[in-house]
Amino acid sequence: MKTVLTALLLLLATPVLAQGPAPGNPAPGNPAQSNTAPASPPPMAMAANSSATDVHLGVASCAGNNCHGAVQPAKASRVAQNEYLIWAQKDKHSKAYAVLLEDRGKRIAANLGLPDAEHAEICLSCHADNVPAAQRGPQFQISDGVGCESCHGGARSWLGTHISGVGHAANLAAGLYPTERPQARAERCLGCHLGDEKRNITHQIMGAGHPPLGFELDTYTAVEPAHFVVDQDYIERKGRPDDAQVWAVGQAMDVRQRMVELLDPKNVPKGLQPELVLFDCQACHHPMDQVQWRARKSTDLPPGRIRLYDATAVMLKVIAKRTAPELADKLTQHLTALHKATNDDWSAVQREAVIIRDTADQLIPQLAKHQFTVEDGRALAQAVIDNATSGDDLDYSAAQQQTMALSSILAAMKLQGLVDAAHLKTMNDALGGVYQAVQGDQAYKPDTYVAALQKFTATLSP
Amino acid sequence: MAALVRGAVLFALAIGLMLPSAIAVAQNNAQHLGVASCSGSNCHGAAERPRGSYVPGNEYIIWSTRDKHRQAYTVLQGERAVRMARALGYPDAVNQKICLDCHADNVPQEQRGREFQISDGVGCEACHGGAQNWLGTHISGATHRDNLAAGLFPTEQPLARAEKCLSCHFGDSTKFVDHRLIGAGHPRLPFELDTFTSTEPAHYVVDRGYVERKGRVTDLQVWATGQAVALYRRMDALLDPRHGRRGMFPEFALFDCQGCHHPYDSLHAPLPTGTGLGPGTAKLNDANAVMLETAAARLAPGAAAAVNAHLAALQRTTEIDPAAMPREAQALRQVARSLANEAAIHEYSPAEIRALADSVIAVGSGPDEWRFAHAEQTTMALEAVVAQLRSSGQLDSRQDAAVKKALDDLFASFANEASFRSDNFAAALREFQRALHG
Repeated sequence: MKTVLTALLLLLATPVLAQGPAPGNPAPGNPAQSNTAPASPPPMAMAANSSATDVHLGVASCAGNNCHGAVQPAKASRVAQNEYLIWAQKDKHSKAYAVLLEDRGKRIAANLGLPDAEHAEICLSCHADNVPAAQRGPQFQISDGVGCESCHGGARSWLGTHISGVGHAANLAAGLYPTERPQARAERCLGCHLGDEKRNITHQIMGAGHPPLGFELDTYTAVEPAHFVVDQDYIERKGRPDDAQVWAVGQAMDVRQRMVELLDPKNVPKGLQPELVLFDCQACHHPMDQVQWRARKSTDLPPGRIRLYDATAVMLKVIAKRTAPELADKLTQHLTALHKATNDDWSAVQREAVIIRDTADQLIPQLAKHQFTVEDGRALAQAVIDNATSGDDLDYSAAQQQTMALSSILAAMKLQGLVDAAHLKTMNDALGGVYQAVQGDQAYKPDTYVAALQKFTATLSP
Repeated sequence: MAALVRGAVLFALAIGLMLPSAIAVAQNNAQHLGVASCSGSNCHGAAERPRGSYVPGNEYIIWSTRDKHRQAYTVLQGERAVRMARALGYPDAVNQKICLDCHADNVPQEQRGREFQISDGVGCEACHGGAQNWLGTHISGATHRDNLAAGLFPTEQPLARAEKCLSCHFGDSTKFVDHRLIGAGHPRLPFELDTFTSTEPAHYVVDRGYVERKGRVTDLQVWATGQAVALYRRMDALLDPRHGRRGMFPEFALFDCQGCHHPYDSLHAPLPTGTGLGPGTAKLNDANAVMLETAAARLAPGAAAAVNAHLAALQRTTEIDPAAMPREAQALRQVARSLANEAAIHEYSPAEIRALADSVIAVGSGPDEWRFAHAEQTTMALEAVVAQLRSSGQLDSRQDAAVKKALDDLFASFANEASFRSDNFAAALREFQRALHG
């Protein structure tokens, strides 16, 4: 997390401004998103049906210098064509396999009783494009880590269409994964950055030495760094992205997936051990000389109980309050009931988790269609801040999510071109102070964080 | 209290002393006369040893000026306690039974004598028993046995002392610092009977008069008995339905604190431990059990093997076989119960003392089973070893100085639990071992 935040700070040094102004009026809703179905069971009905079983041709099949491996951004092309180089040089996904061979990877494997990490399914399923052997083309290399087709889908059936330049819709129809759609992207990223039914990310892995997983879809897209450029051509082909929407959908999908995990029979408490990965890391992992407990009305838990990780759910409440107030109330009520149930009654935990999952399912398509205006942005930023400064939610995990939320909202304001450059710079500089306050969980001080937030608040109004 | 009485009686039977059978019975309903009734300058508040006294006479002074028990009530008025009370939803701490039960001599109103002050904290009668029935005997210069018969609590006996101290320093059927209290800000409760007796500081001097009246009790008897009692108390708590799983949560107070409370950026995770549980699971605090196992190796090797086997099985039941938990906890409790009696009377030969130290050190230096709570207990065990070697004249002045320094270094090596490193601790242990055998 520390490295991510360092990366974020680097990004902030060359703020959102550097992404270039996005001209014009907000585009109409992304047509590709209008037919998203309510999301229970898993919302990926929209992923092209062939991509799950298609052959993965390997990074080498994308990296040609006429394709995505151009040294200089191409002028005539629809895309910059340096996507491979960005991935290979700057994107940690290209190192995902290599880290399995390093000391930490070795130690985690040993702690888990595995002969090594680089052959273990449990590691490879997120640290590489670990499709079955039958789906690996001649140029496929497992050591490429999380390569092109891990996210964009196995290319055999769509590579021809893609090269022939017939248009994005045709590519999608042929099986290209729609990463530009917030919901699809959230599902793909969260599969590893939170876990899914295939990828069982447990506290056992954490206890063995795996770093914790902090994630926010929009911020992580930016710091990856993104290997796409949103220009007029991009908007025509794929629709206008909206950072606020990516953030909002990402939060809803995160909450949904957390509820799915909570309901998974494998996570039913056995004996005296709950599945600790579902809980807030710092609830336990804090030094004991810091008396840190504060009453949180929104959890209604007594001291000495650990709380389920709810930083994304708290953000979702804020988002829903602005975009779907009736669902916000429902969410608020049942999240409190969920927390309370963790201390009382497992069957009530399950009951509440189902309600929250279904509420998130209702919100996802609404958020994927919602047009986030600059007023929305300001109101959401203020609500995120109020949530923190009210004192109800100053846990480290919450501060992390709040900070990334503000970053996404700022990016959205910038992309809409409705905030001038000087004002954006002032806001960005203040946000840098907020990032500094959440840089490390052990050094985190709520007071410092609130002070930084207050400075940022002062920059919000034009 | 029943357990306490039974413990004391078992002890008496075990050592075959002709202790009064009514031991510790008379005190149950006796009035607590208050600290003021002990602190007279002719009694226990003397600046100098009163002429002809068996005891130094300054016990009250030591308690009131140096012993934290004296401050037990006062801390309830401090900032931390006010904050804790608020977190727990109490108006204050000073009027809460749950706080007063250990922070004062919280007997019922009808047992409070005229000079009794709740604000005296953990005063004389909190440990020695309500004095109503024995003060007369005591002042008249009767024998210690007569005092005990009249209701004085036998704190000199390891088993009785362990029961008394642990009733607050771990908990019993009515008192328990659960994780709700800890989460609200209560410090955790590390405890080792012999070390804590000496750092209290003890307000008695073991001289000839003491030995004649009360018998000789060795540091290792106190240490090992303390471990046994702590372990069966721990099992009692684990078996208590009030501390069973609630919703998704176990009673975290029964688990190893640093197992969870460590920064996760230090790759803290050790190799898989001998508990049989994988990484990422909370481990029951087993430091007392591990210590008792090393003691048992001297007392009853079969019992040592039983502690080892049942402890491993118990750790597994927290995750893998929950239905077996009561059985394993009971088994461990039984072994600890029987070992407590052995531990209270075992005489350690000089060779045995050093062998015991070596096996404690071996536990502490092992690559496996390694946790902060073990470091703490290992060090306090070695403190008891040193105390016994010293009091039995087995350390010459050169050795004494070397061992003292090594022990100080050992304590220093884990002074900061946030930066605790088992390899630093193991290195300090090796130094101690060299000093001990040097």
